[in-house]
Amino acid sequence: MRIGVFVCQCGTNIASTVDTGAVAQRALDYPDVVFATDYMYTCSEPGQQEIQKAIAEHRLQGVVVAACSPRMHEATFRRAVEKAGLNRYMFEMANIREHVSWIGQDKGANTLKAMELVRMAVEKLRRNEPLFASEVPINKRVLVIGGGVAGIQAALDCADAGLDVVLVEREQSIGGKMAKLDKTFPTIDCSSCILGPKMVDVAQKENITLHAYSEVEAVSGYIGNFTVKIRKKATYVDWDACTGCGLCMEKCPSKKTVDRFNENLGTTSAIQIPFPQAIPKKARIQKDACRYFATGKCKVCQKICPTNAIHYDMEDREVVEEVGAIIVATGYDLFDPAPYGEYGAGRYPDVITGIQFERILSASGPFGGHVKRPSDGKEPKDIVFVACVGSRDKSVDRPYCSGICCMYIAKQAILARDHLPGVQCYVFYMDIRSPGKNYDEFVRRAIEEYGVQYIRGRVGKIYPRGDRMVVQGADTLLGAQVEVEADLVVLATGVESSRGAKELAEKLRISYDQYGFYMESHPKLRPVETNTAGVYLAGACQGPKDIPASVAQGSAAASKVLALFARDTIATDPQVAGVLESVCIGCGKCLSVCPFGAIQWKTLRDGSRKAEVLETVCQGCGLCNATCPPKAIQLKHFTDDQILAELDALCA
Amino acid sequence: MKTLHSHLEDHFEELELVIGWEIGFEPLRATPAFVRRREDLARLVWNPLCAPNLSVYLPQILKSAEKTEKKVAVCLKGCDTRSLTALIQEGFVDRERLHVIGLPCPGTVDPQALAQARKNRAPVTQVSFQDNLLILHSYEGTEEIPLDSVLARRCRRCRQPNPLLADVVLGDPVPARCDAPSFAHVEAVDSLPLEERRAYWERELDRCLRCYACRNACPLCVCRDRCLAESRTPKWTTQRDSVRDKFLFHMIHALHLAGRCTECGECERVCPVGIPVALFKEKMAQIALDLWDYQAGVDPAATPPLQTFDPSETGI
Repeated sequence: MRIGVFVCQCGTNIASTVDTGAVAQRALDYPDVVFATDYMYTCSEPGQQEIQKAIAEHRLQGVVVAACSPRMHEATFRRAVEKAGLNRYMFEMANIREHVSWIGQDKGANTLKAMELVRMAVEKLRRNEPLFASEVPINKRVLVIGGGVAGIQAALDCADAGLDVVLVEREQSIGGKMAKLDKTFPTIDCSSCILGPKMVDVAQKENITLHAYSEVEAVSGYIGNFTVKIRKKATYVDWDACTGCGLCMEKCPSKKTVDRFNENLGTTSAIQIPFPQAIPKKARIQKDACRYFATGKCKVCQKICPTNAIHYDMEDREVVEEVGAIIVATGYDLFDPAPYGEYGAGRYPDVITGIQFERILSASGPFGGHVKRPSDGKEPKDIVFVACVGSRDKSVDRPYCSGICCMYIAKQAILARDHLPGVQCYVFYMDIRSPGKNYDEFVRRAIEEYGVQYIRGRVGKIYPRGDRMVVQGADTLLGAQVEVEADLVVLATGVESSRGAKELAEKLRISYDQYGFYMESHPKLRPVETNTAGVYLAGACQGPKDIPASVAQGSAAASKVLALFARDTIATDPQVAGVLESVCIGCGKCLSVCPFGAIQWKTLRDGSRKAEVLETVCQGCGLCNATCPPKAIQLKHFTDDQILAELDALCA
Repeated sequence: MKTLHSHLEDHFEELELVIGWEIGFEPLRATPAFVRRREDLARLVWNPLCAPNLSVYLPQILKSAEKTEKKVAVCLKGCDTRSLTALIQEGFVDRERLHVIGLPCPGTVDPQALAQARKNRAPVTQVSFQDNLLILHSYEGTEEIPLDSVLARRCRRCRQPNPLLADVVLGDPVPARCDAPSFAHVEAVDSLPLEERRAYWERELDRCLRCYACRNACPLCVCRDRCLAESRTPKWTTQRDSVRDKFLFHMIHALHLAGRCTECGECERVCPVGIPVALFKEKMAQIALDLWDYQAGVDPAATPPLQTFDPSETGI
């Protein structure tokens, strides 16, 4: 092989602490190196031309550039050598900036280290082979998992661009948590008034297929070609026939069913449409509450239904959808305050959570929008809000800030004052976090115009006194213990990952953090991508988020899908695993460790079993290579022999 | 209690092959026996000299044998059944095709220890066993040696003398010598200062002949004839006779067994130059226990910790 080495000075970034000329000179001693030089800015247009000129003049077959991190300019140089007629993988980069010049002052030692890194790159390049990407067609349909506001936004944006969209929602209606909110901060506009039109849009778009009350069972395939199995859970109501008239709900005798949509504050019927704006507005029988399923008698809804939509023998059904990209928008759940025994949530009816108060404020809520306390229906005179219940608290394994509670407390205090002008609101808080546009002004309004009393300190204990609750806490600004008597206590419960988030992540082969939030590909530069190609994130499934951020991410994820679908085919990365069949012993260990399901069995004509890599599914992580006992499975461009050669060069 | 012979006589029609032990080239050696004819059953023996772990033969035999209704019978000691369990976990052995004869084991003899314990020099002409005593006959006379004084190292740390998995168990259960996993031997080497430890292994491995007996006797070696030690692509080791290359080979073998080794100790037993190579694997077993609370070859339904991908795994 004829190799050329180009050592970049990066202005003074490298040259000030590395003798680049000496590095280039030394490189001429390495095997196969026929040309070496240093240059001021190798990545510049003339720098690249220098490489291309040398390839032609010296008939180079491979190029090493010693410069910055390959994350910076590997793509640049690969394109440059490709233009000069080489295969783009006949190129190696030695990082002598981040790994050398920026981290050491000793020019002599730095120069020596740079020489060694160049030598390693040369040894690797000598064993490089030309690699070629293959093209696979893209199925231009998109699956959106989760019909909260982020998922709705993503689905609508994709649908507006003409894509076929499949939207899967676990609950009976789309709308997510936002559908339960009364008003939204910082503008106090009605949540269902702004979300409702979007929900209706979803129902009306012909290119959106909505699977409500359904869950993703299994995902196989790869970017451009996923196959998704979706389980449509039995509703016992034929949704094609159901018109959402609500007659069944009126006549259903099981009226004592706990109303989950109203956060258990009221009751509903066993057959139910969760809220008036539900999409799809179809009834569902809650099996464990239904009299017919318990006793075998009743069937009132079946008799009364004008369209004969009730079918007690309905079973879960599986549908299969083929899509080219997946947007995950599964949202969040709220922290269950039970671990805070001293706050008494669940024990005292007048200690409620923020989302319960949201339902109390709502006109479609259990009390029709009258602010009353759950225990006796009296209007409260004093309301205490407790911030950071399940946020910023290591003792309950929730060290992170939920981000939305400070704002929703301020909103709820303002709304409480709007509903009941005489009410006095108190907020126990640690810090007020209100960094959004117009957010801090909103909190100031609560304090200054609405007279909400903010007390900086944690609450120690909540207990009843007479028919009121006593909230005992510290005021750390006063340095004193304070006690507030209240009629109603609202715990601002924090955000946690959605139940089932980890199981879904495993089906999608995306990673999640220790709290179950999905990991983005890069925290700053790839915020809606995952490390699994073709799977994107939107909304609070990635971390606590408010509505504007969730909507923005919904649109961002949609734009990623549109960019992907702008092409008809996708080039696969050839840096993937490959099997040396003559060495493979068929032990199957690679199959069991592959996080992407990219390896399958292949039977040879003699009946023996060998591993086979699906190149379009493989992400090149190398787990199979590490696991393979005889090393029959090798990562192309990073083969054992290449890495061993680098080590030998380093240890020589 | 049925004896091995009467059990096999009764079931011979259902069996295609019996893998057991027979007396080898001298009375103190028991070697593997492969019996296909009823009249050969008489050759089989079962006593503390029956050291080989016969599960090592199963993957190859089951692979090459025609699938028939008849089963392959295999005699396994307590520790050997752990190897079988690991082979079943990894899909190398079809449990349905086996007739497993489990044998509670009083411990096996270390031939070197036995040679040292003997006072007589003359070749042994006959061996018998009684109440944990070895009775050796030679023309110099008869001598009695307590089994406990000549046990193999693996048997001194044994905690699974009784079969964990068998179709039939022949013999009464034997009390275990250790209740909990014992890593005293590993810890003794581990506690040496770095330089001394290095010198210890250099001294030990200098004797290694690279005969690969340790690898060949290992029931869980899956690469067989595709061993990295002899591979040119990729070229992990050279054929040089250096401690470095020997060490690398033993490290590769140990790492292949991480979270899989059932500590049967065969690698060490078969080493012709007496290198305590099982210590490498015992170290791996110790780490697997610390890290995942996992013991290889105990539960056939378990997945070995390094044979799976679990993104929720923490602490590693």
